[in-house]
Amino acid sequence: MEDGNASARPRRATGRLCSICNQRKAALKRPKTLEQICRECFYSVFEDEIHSVIVDNNLFRPGERVAVAASGGKDSTVLAYVMSQLNCRHNYGLDLFLLSVDEGITGYRDDSLETVKRNEIEYGLPLKVVSYKDLYGWTMDEIVKTIGLKNNCTFCGVFRRQALDRGAALMEADKIVTGHNADDIAETVLLNILRGDIARLSRCTFITTGEDGPIPRCKPFKYSYEKEIVMYAYFKKLDYFSTECIYSPNAYRGFAREFIKDLERIRPRAILDIIKSGENFRIATSTKMPEQGTCVRCGYISSQKLCKACLLLEGLNRGLPKLGIGRTRGSNGVKKHVEHRNSNTEVSDSNLESKQCGTLNF
Amino acid sequence: MASCGGGVGACHQSHCQRSEEDGGAEEEAREMASVSVDSCAAGGGDLVRCPKCGEEAAAKGGPRVLNGMCPSCFHAHLFGKFKLAVTTNAMISPTDKVLVAFSGGPASRVALQFIHEMQCKSLESWDASKSQALPVFSVGVVFIDESIISVNPSNDINKTIEEIRPIVSPLSPPHKDLHVATIENICSMNCNDGKTKLKKLLDSVPDATGKEDLLEYLRMHLLQKIALDNGYNKLVLGSCTSTLACHVISATAKGQGYSLPADVQYVDARWEVPVVLPLHDCVTEELKMLCHLDGMETLQLLKKPSNSINSLISSFISHLRDENPSRERTIVRTAEKLKPFGFNKFVEDKYHEFLPSRLRCKFQNTSNSESALAEVFCPLCGSPLSEPELQSVSDIQEKSHTAVEVFTAHCCESCSFQILPKEPVSLQQFYSILPQPMTRRVTGSTLDHSMLRELIGDCLLVDDYDNDGT
Amino acid sequence: MHLTLEFGGGLELLCGSVKTHSVDVKSEPGEHELKMRDLLSWTKSNLIKERPEMFMKGNTVRPGVLVLINDCDWELCGGLDTELEEKDVVVFISTLHGG
Repeated sequence: MEDGNASARPRRATGRLCSICNQRKAALKRPKTLEQICRECFYSVFEDEIHSVIVDNNLFRPGERVAVAASGGKDSTVLAYVMSQLNCRHNYGLDLFLLSVDEGITGYRDDSLETVKRNEIEYGLPLKVVSYKDLYGWTMDEIVKTIGLKNNCTFCGVFRRQALDRGAALMEADKIVTGHNADDIAETVLLNILRGDIARLSRCTFITTGEDGPIPRCKPFKYSYEKEIVMYAYFKKLDYFSTECIYSPNAYRGFAREFIKDLERIRPRAILDIIKSGENFRIATSTKMPEQGTCVRCGYISSQKLCKACLLLEGLNRGLPKLGIGRTRGSNGVKKHVEHRNSNTEVSDSNLESKQCGTLNF
Repeated sequence: MASCGGGVGACHQSHCQRSEEDGGAEEEAREMASVSVDSCAAGGGDLVRCPKCGEEAAAKGGPRVLNGMCPSCFHAHLFGKFKLAVTTNAMISPTDKVLVAFSGGPASRVALQFIHEMQCKSLESWDASKSQALPVFSVGVVFIDESIISVNPSNDINKTIEEIRPIVSPLSPPHKDLHVATIENICSMNCNDGKTKLKKLLDSVPDATGKEDLLEYLRMHLLQKIALDNGYNKLVLGSCTSTLACHVISATAKGQGYSLPADVQYVDARWEVPVVLPLHDCVTEELKMLCHLDGMETLQLLKKPSNSINSLISSFISHLRDENPSRERTIVRTAEKLKPFGFNKFVEDKYHEFLPSRLRCKFQNTSNSESALAEVFCPLCGSPLSEPELQSVSDIQEKSHTAVEVFTAHCCESCSFQILPKEPVSLQQFYSILPQPMTRRVTGSTLDHSMLRELIGDCLLVDDYDNDGT
Repeated sequence: MHLTLEFGGGLELLCGSVKTHSVDVKSEPGEHELKMRDLLSWTKSNLIKERPEMFMKGNTVRPGVLVLINDCDWELCGGLDTELEEKDVVVFISTLHGG
């Protein structure tokens, strides 16, 4: 199936040659430049661009221990592959490992974790799996059983974000790399405009975030198109997993994503232009992020007294799963919220301690 | 700084819309908004009373934009938003000669109506006042005929005038001059020559979006020219929240994030004749509804179907509006949180003399140092150039170059991509037929070098600061 | 005309989780050749079992679905107007499923 047809027969409109090497047959049109290039040249420009993003932005220092956030999906699979290639080729001197989060979703994570395990062997990168059950005492299956299918994505998202940090801390990583691609970032810029979230708007185009925190995160695919990532995985026959999460079957159907894809069809460059806009927004210094403190319960960075995960957990453990969903305003807002609920349900404060997420030893 | 809501806003609108006042985390904006709409509807039952005047509303169970108000309160409500925008931003002063750009659509129709009402009221108080010291501003109307680019161009400008005059002439006294021009006038005052040139100019831009945008920039230059030629000192546009929301998204998608805040303020004084947007806080739905309720005549606007980024975005925005009526406001408010430019407010001293004392303080607060910083503008779209773009201007000035090269270097990256022809020959031709006001912007204002360096230095400083803050 | 159609990146879920389909497609009566545009509507009515809107939008594939004809980006072979030939392999990959 691999090459059979591609080279055997001459094709009508596809006889064009690669605009880089001028020798081999073009296999794809680059969205970034509209060039027609062959597979081999595609591999090298794709990898070289990521290499220059890494070098130009000083993403890593030699000797660093770097966790590759691995979900088994296309982006993280290609990320793991490319990072391990570049690390060897350019002597980054990084100690790479795969870090996976097991949300505890039967039938979804089971399969994707299998994919990550195969990657562990194929790419020669050690794998560490942290589970929600270990970190929070709840699996997603259990959470859904308690709260139903509404808002479950809020839980999963908040928990996953922290899970990576906690897992990375456990493994004594210096940095986390994630597979966010250009389409993702453009979508985030757009969503933050639609929501009026100026603080997030100012941060969402940073290639590295959390530099003030214990474990910074960076996105080497910041300028890589999703199309190219998928093409790369397809041509290289990389093994990735692509089932929807069973709890949010249509989550990817978001209108913002759809809009980005429509835009890409009219003008592929628009994706990079949105990122550029995001980088150039004149955000007044007075609208910077609120001061970051740490969660009083677990020590995770949080702008409020309790971090979002602890707040959600508190709700779960007290049978008030709506707690922390939606809008919270400053630490006082949280407090009020808690007290208000308290008076309604007569749950005493001591119950809160029953299950909490472990303290972080940063 | 950009938001003028807050305390002042509270007096003109006190019910449902309060929920939108929060500027911060708007993740819940959607829920909030739908609740407010629901509660308005639920309050109805059989007998709907206007929440403002207490009378039974004529439009019982009517469209949601009415928010349960009766037509006359709805008119007053929108006029209140208009007036607030005018007064808090000192858009119009008594000595002004104001030109209203009327496209025939509902927004500019309402702008025209409100300006007229305001003028009448000023005239009344002028008549009543003993001293008659404060003059009353005068108003003119301009209509630009763009039928040349429509599917079936009508060649008869007189027919257009016949359609516009019955709309404008009832709006007197006071008398309003009507200026009608065709879009090709920007290329040449000679009708046929202008047509040929404009067609050539647009044909040399292959990108559908670039073509549309170029036409819009040409329109602005023509409006400026007409205003200048006839002694106007303010240009009123009908841009409303909805059009601004589309602009926010499209400027972002075109990579114009840096210059975006310049376009979404109430005042834009980067032009020779400053531009003001008094309908900044009204959405299209409201304006359409007002035209309908008050029987204001509008023209069928020529909309060619196109597959440009602009039309994709306007259908995206209308989709968002259907899902949440307050989304357009949120989008514009996001852009308002970005730092505006020095030219986004009036700082001229002479305004103070005519202002009521309570308003004067607004102007004394504006620091002169900030507005003194000159910007360099893209000659096509008028966007202030960002630091890397200034760098290319600076680079080109180090050597001597042809006029085209200097012009190209002054264009922002977005215009370079979507408007400027890539081929040197077609670029040369494009440049040669570009209207003078555009080419003059570069040759007339060639910056001296040290000033440019200084500008770049300022940008760099700002950047460094931002990076430290992360 | 005999063709091999492959669905990936999650699109296989729309056609009974079967990734590879060997199919025989008849071109429209009166038409000599089979174009991609025809294949898309054929696929939509014959292979896609659920949520066809995930596969198509308007008369073409939904934005975000990549198409390769014999391992070549269809944007290079003419998109909807590409004429198919006997034994061609057409691959559809969604980029929209989680990553």
